[in-house]
Amino acid sequence: MAVEKPERYIGHEFNSVVKDKDSVDVRFVMCFPDVYEIGMSHLGIAILYDMFNSFADTWCERVYSPWPDLDKIMREKKIPLFALESQEPIKNFDFLGITIQYEMVYTNILQILDLSEIPLLSWERTWDDPIVIGGGPCTSNPEPLADFFDIFYIGEGETQYRVLLDMYKESRKNGDSREEFLHKASKIPGLYVPSMLDVEYKEDGTVSRFVPKYDDVPVKVYKELVKDLDDTYYPEKPVVPFIKVTQERVVLEIMRGCIRGCRFCQAGQIYRPVRERSVEYLLDKAVKLLDNTGQEEITLSSLSSSDYSHLDELLSKLIEKCNNKKVNIALPSLRIDQFSLDVMNKIQDVKKSSLTFAPEAGSQRMRDIINKGLTEEDIVNGATLAFKGGWTRVKLYFMLGLPFETDEDIKGIADLSNLVCATFYDTVPKEQRVNGHVQVVTSTSFFVPKPFTPFQWAQMDDAKTFIDKAEKTKHFIIGELNQKHIKYNWHEADVSVLEGVFARGDRKLSKVLLNAYSKGCIFDAWTEFYDNDKWLKAFEEEGVEFSFYTTRKREDDEIFPWDFIECGVTKEHFLREWHKAQKGEVTLNCKDRCAGCGMAKFECGICVR
Amino acid sequence: MKLRVKFSKTGVLKYIGHLDTMRYFQKAFRRTDIRVKYSAGFSPHMIMSFAQALGVGVESLGEYFDVEVEDDQEIAGMVDKLNAQMAEGFKVIDIVKIDDKATNAMASVAASRYEIDFYKTENPVTPALFEEFRSAGPIEYTKKVKTGEITFNIKDFVFELEYRDKGFYCVVDSSSAGNLKPKFLVEVLLKLAGKDIEQYPFHILRIDLLKRDSEGRFVSLDHE
Repeated sequence: MAVEKPERYIGHEFNSVVKDKDSVDVRFVMCFPDVYEIGMSHLGIAILYDMFNSFADTWCERVYSPWPDLDKIMREKKIPLFALESQEPIKNFDFLGITIQYEMVYTNILQILDLSEIPLLSWERTWDDPIVIGGGPCTSNPEPLADFFDIFYIGEGETQYRVLLDMYKESRKNGDSREEFLHKASKIPGLYVPSMLDVEYKEDGTVSRFVPKYDDVPVKVYKELVKDLDDTYYPEKPVVPFIKVTQERVVLEIMRGCIRGCRFCQAGQIYRPVRERSVEYLLDKAVKLLDNTGQEEITLSSLSSSDYSHLDELLSKLIEKCNNKKVNIALPSLRIDQFSLDVMNKIQDVKKSSLTFAPEAGSQRMRDIINKGLTEEDIVNGATLAFKGGWTRVKLYFMLGLPFETDEDIKGIADLSNLVCATFYDTVPKEQRVNGHVQVVTSTSFFVPKPFTPFQWAQMDDAKTFIDKAEKTKHFIIGELNQKHIKYNWHEADVSVLEGVFARGDRKLSKVLLNAYSKGCIFDAWTEFYDNDKWLKAFEEEGVEFSFYTTRKREDDEIFPWDFIECGVTKEHFLREWHKAQKGEVTLNCKDRCAGCGMAKFECGICVR
Repeated sequence: MKLRVKFSKTGVLKYIGHLDTMRYFQKAFRRTDIRVKYSAGFSPHMIMSFAQALGVGVESLGEYFDVEVEDDQEIAGMVDKLNAQMAEGFKVIDIVKIDDKATNAMASVAASRYEIDFYKTENPVTPALFEEFRSAGPIEYTKKVKTGEITFNIKDFVFELEYRDKGFYCVVDSSSAGNLKPKFLVEVLLKLAGKDIEQYPFHILRIDLLKRDSEGRFVSLDHE
């Protein structure tokens, strides 16, 4: 077989939607620009696929990035990229929707366009090409990709697509030019048309102002959100892949948003406010989803499941429904306490897999800076309970390179890892130790400041500093009493730096992307394909400095490339939080006290309780 | 109750691998109210065993698996229920009850009937070629295996050959002791005809999996 896993490209999966193409007005193809197994695990696309196909006039299909083996054949034989359901070329579609989940897929977006024979630059496209529209978390700063997209959809996809499709049908009927259509689309709330907004820069390279191309183009783009999650689209018949995908299970999104304003976390800010789904709604969906897919596992999805108000009720009813069907319930992102351990004992098989804690920082001082409301006591208590319950393996996640970090904070990572080991020996008497000892896996990733967080002003470390800090961590761990039982892993530094460049990047980066792509960079999220030298060369050739985007100090009043977007949380709130971080002051979570972040104006979710 | 299920797998679904086909049927059962028996133990799994793995890229009109179910449902109803849960390209053709003590599907398999279709060219094989094949002495074929190479007389593994317009039908050994890939037979025949296999692309279709009845004749695996 010339191509590995041909099942990635043949479609035909159970519950995939095939319509009569002559009976629809709009052909939409939804793309996750990474390999099938990753893309098929994404809930957002499943929701939008279901929504579009519920429209009688629209047929929505799917496409994923061809793996490098097929990519090569397609280029050699000039085979245009095709959609899974109809196997028709992407170029024939009305819309190509691309979800942008992480920065390291940016070159894969160019690969998708290129293999589809769609001009990479938006202004070179005609009505022979689809409208290329982007969505997902990275569109909270879409600027590095501005040249490649016709439209960005800012916020949650359930709300404005119907309006856009109707406008599109009308425009095509009236014979509008592409430019006329895009001009009209720029007035739909939540839609950003980069070609309708010019950016002017100061001499130092920062943004001076945003200039709409026409007077009636809005100068601010407001994020869209779903106010009532019990009254919106949610798939009941998701596609069931033939091959094993990363999320081989039914996904039940129990709520959106997070009450805990961790200052490094973008998801915790841009999905505000917390909106919960009702237990009745979730149980109804769970039963239908399991019946319609035959999956053996269901996972409750949210940013912090322990914060869901009716978790106890939901779980006991779900266990009732799942037990006779031999369905496993998976519960990621749970706080480790007596309740969650009891739940895990009830729902998971006897094998005690490892437990995960994410203190994110080693010292209490640093956890206060990042506003991670987890204390050493919480961790020790959780670990004690877990060890009493028979668990012997613990994973600890930390970040290196957080703002205002000192060697003491780094040493805190080693100290905390050691403390967890010591807790095991204090808790479990020698004769009861299952494997004789405890296994702690400590992992660090490098902190990448993201737009629309209090740390959007933060200076990021360079690659050398990152590596030095990882070495220090290793050194401190070796110095600990229980170092034999601590395994230490750290994340790549080069990729983190590049991620940092694009996260807070501007339009000047699009030429670097084009250059790197022309050198053959694709699948940058995959270590086996990531080629740092090519990237360094691309930056050098285009005369763009990493440091402008990463290590540079940003003043409080700097206009950021993404500041034309209103995510709901105000810049004043972020700045307030940034200043509190500098002083090590914590902010209470939304349940305890409203921090006045600005979301209350949407009048939904936790803000109206 | 023990059942033997016969299904077809055609079109692009020929690219679905064996393990994925098994997982596919497990999920399909879970979408119906047919309750498949689970094994005991730490990680229970459905009691289901496939007759033979079908090569990736080969279509088939006759694949089989045995499965144990809890309830005593009507056979016809089960066929319909499963077919309501099939992706296009999979079809349940038949279900038969089998004796609890019956030899399982995998051990029953004796041979496969294949159709070879030269879809692009004129037919490079002729009835005369089959005669030549039959009357020739032992024809050695060497295939690479993990431990090196093995050589065997291919004629021992070919039971029937029948000419057809676009190619031929054959019945070849598919038992666990001596499974012959039809591709090897095509190679040997074209070599005998003095033709270059590269010039004659072909499709392989498995028509059925066969067992031997009490008199030694080949019959379908679902033959009662």
